[in-house]
Amino acid sequence: MAIQSPQAPQTPDALKAGKVPAGARDRARKPVLDPRERARLEQAFRVPRARTAAGALLAVVLVAWSMAGAEFNFVKLGEGAANMGEFLARLFPPTWEKLPTILELLVETLQMAIVGTVLGALLSLVCAFGAASNIAPRWLYYPARWIMNVIRSLPDLVFALMFVSAVGLGPFAGILAMTVGAVGSMGKIFAEAMESVDRGPVVAMQAVGASKRQVVQYGVLPQAAPLLTSYTLLMFESNVRGATILGMVGAGGIGLELTTAMRMYDYGHLSAMVICIVVLVTIIDQVSAVVRRKIS
Amino acid sequence: MTTDAAPLPAPAVPAGARPPLVTVRDLKVAYDGGPLVLDGVHLDLHPGETVALLGSSGSGKSTLMRTLTGFAPVTSGSVRVAGHDVPGLGRAGLRRLRADVGQVFQQFNLVGRLSVLTNVLTGALHEAGPVNLAGGFSAAHRRRAMELLDRVGIAHKAKEQARSLSGGQQQRVAIARALMQGPKVILADEPVASLDPKLSHTVLDLLRGIAREDGIPVLVSLHVLPLALRHSDRVVGLRHGEVLVSAPTARLSAEQLAPLYDHDDEEGED
Repeated sequence: MAIQSPQAPQTPDALKAGKVPAGARDRARKPVLDPRERARLEQAFRVPRARTAAGALLAVVLVAWSMAGAEFNFVKLGEGAANMGEFLARLFPPTWEKLPTILELLVETLQMAIVGTVLGALLSLVCAFGAASNIAPRWLYYPARWIMNVIRSLPDLVFALMFVSAVGLGPFAGILAMTVGAVGSMGKIFAEAMESVDRGPVVAMQAVGASKRQVVQYGVLPQAAPLLTSYTLLMFESNVRGATILGMVGAGGIGLELTTAMRMYDYGHLSAMVICIVVLVTIIDQVSAVVRRKIS
Repeated sequence: MTTDAAPLPAPAVPAGARPPLVTVRDLKVAYDGGPLVLDGVHLDLHPGETVALLGSSGSGKSTLMRTLTGFAPVTSGSVRVAGHDVPGLGRAGLRRLRADVGQVFQQFNLVGRLSVLTNVLTGALHEAGPVNLAGGFSAAHRRRAMELLDRVGIAHKAKEQARSLSGGQQQRVAIARALMQGPKVILADEPVASLDPKLSHTVLDLLRGIAREDGIPVLVSLHVLPLALRHSDRVVGLRHGEVLVSAPTARLSAEQLAPLYDHDDEEGED
C-alpha cells in the first residue's frame, strides 16, 4: 500500500527542523481535545456539570410536588397496612361452588381477548402504515398520528360505554372497545417498530426497482415482524386483563361477576375468580414467552 | 472517446469495444445548493469491462454511484445508463432504470430474517406481478434463483436465514440478487470494505468474472489500491469531485495513483 503522500511536512517548525518524525507531524496537524475536558473524561468519579445537577434537582422537585398533590403519605400507608391485611384475609378461603360459572366467564373473557387482539392488531397495522414516517407520505402521516393521539387520550371505558349504548350489553361491545382502544397505543408502537428497521435492506429493495408495496412487504415487514408479534402478544395479555374491567360496564367477560361479588361481599367467590384470572394470565404469559423466543 | 483531463496516458477504449452502456458527460452535482460534490465528471462504461472507481473519502465516489441510479440529484450534465436518460426520470422511469442496474453494497443489505433464496428472489421484484402478494414467485423465478446461487457457490445454504451466513457468503448472496435482476450494468459500492483480504479477492474475482462472461460493465468503488490494480480493467480516480485519472489498469502504477490520496483534510465524508 504505497500510497503514502510524498508531500513534505507542512508546519513551519517542521520545516525549520528539517526532519520530523511522522508522529510529531501528525500531532501538529491533528485537532486536540481541550486538556481540561480530557482530564475530566479520564477521572473515575466526575463532579456533575451544572446542567446535570440542575436536571437532577428539577426531577426531585417534580416528584415531591406530585407526591404532595396526590396526597402520597407513608404514615397513612403504614397505618392502613392492617386494614389491607384484613381485606386480604377475608379473601380466604376461596369458595369453589360457582367454578363452572367462573370457567364459562373466563372462556368468554379469553374469546373476547382473542377476537379483540386479532382485530386490534390488524387495524393497528393498517394505521401504522399511515403513521410510519419511512413509509407514509406527509399528508397521511400527520392525520394518522393525530387520530391515534386522540384515541390514546380516551380511556377504554369511554369506548366501552359508547359501544354498549350502540350495540347493547355483552361481549360484542367489549370487543369493539378493545379493538378501537388498541389502535391508539398499538398503532403508534407498530409504526415505531417499522420506523426502526435497518435502512440497508430497504435501500436494496428500492435499488432493484421494487414498488412501495414491495419495499414494505420484503424490506420493512420481515424486519419488523419479531417486534410486531411481540407487541401483539403483549396486547393480548393486557386485553385479557382489560376484559375483566370492561365487564364492569356490562361489556361482557368476567368483570361484571367480579364487581357483583365485591358489592355482595361474596369474598370467597371473588377470591376464586381472582385465582382463576391469575392462573390464566400466567399461562398466557408463559406461552407468549415461548412464542417470543421462537420468533426472535 | 473520453475527454478526461487526465495527466496520464490517454484512456484507451477496449479493443473491439461495443458502444458504452453508461455515458456520463460533464456531470455536476451539488446537494441543496451546497458546494459541487462532482465537478465535470466524464465516464464511459463498456460491456464486459470492470472499472475500479478510486478516490479518498469525500472524493465523490458514492455520489457518482448514486447519480447513476437516480438516488442523487443531477445539477447539470448528462447521465445515460442502459438506455435511460437519468436526469428528469419520473418515479416509474426510475424504477425501470433501477431494475436494469444491479447494485452491491458494502453492508450487503440483505433482509437477515428472510431465507437466502428469498433474498435472491427479491432481485426479480420488478417482474413480479400483483400475484406475488398471495403466492410468492413463480417456479421459473425460483429455478433461476437457485441457478444463480449455484453460480456464486452458495446453493447449499438456500434455505437458511441470510443473517446466519458469514460476511463473504452474504456478499455472494447479494451478488446473486443483483444478477437476478438480469442487470445491464452492475454497480458495487465498496463491496469488500467489510470483508477480510482473502474474501475480498473471492468477491472481486466473482464480479470480474460476471463482467466478462455476461458482457456487463461492472463499476466497483474500492479504497484499497492493490485490490483495484489486481481486479480491474480500467481505473477511474476521483479527487475533489473531478476525474484525475482514467486509464487502463495495465498501464498504471501505484505511484501514478498517489495524488488521489493526497488529501489535506481528514474530515471528509463518503
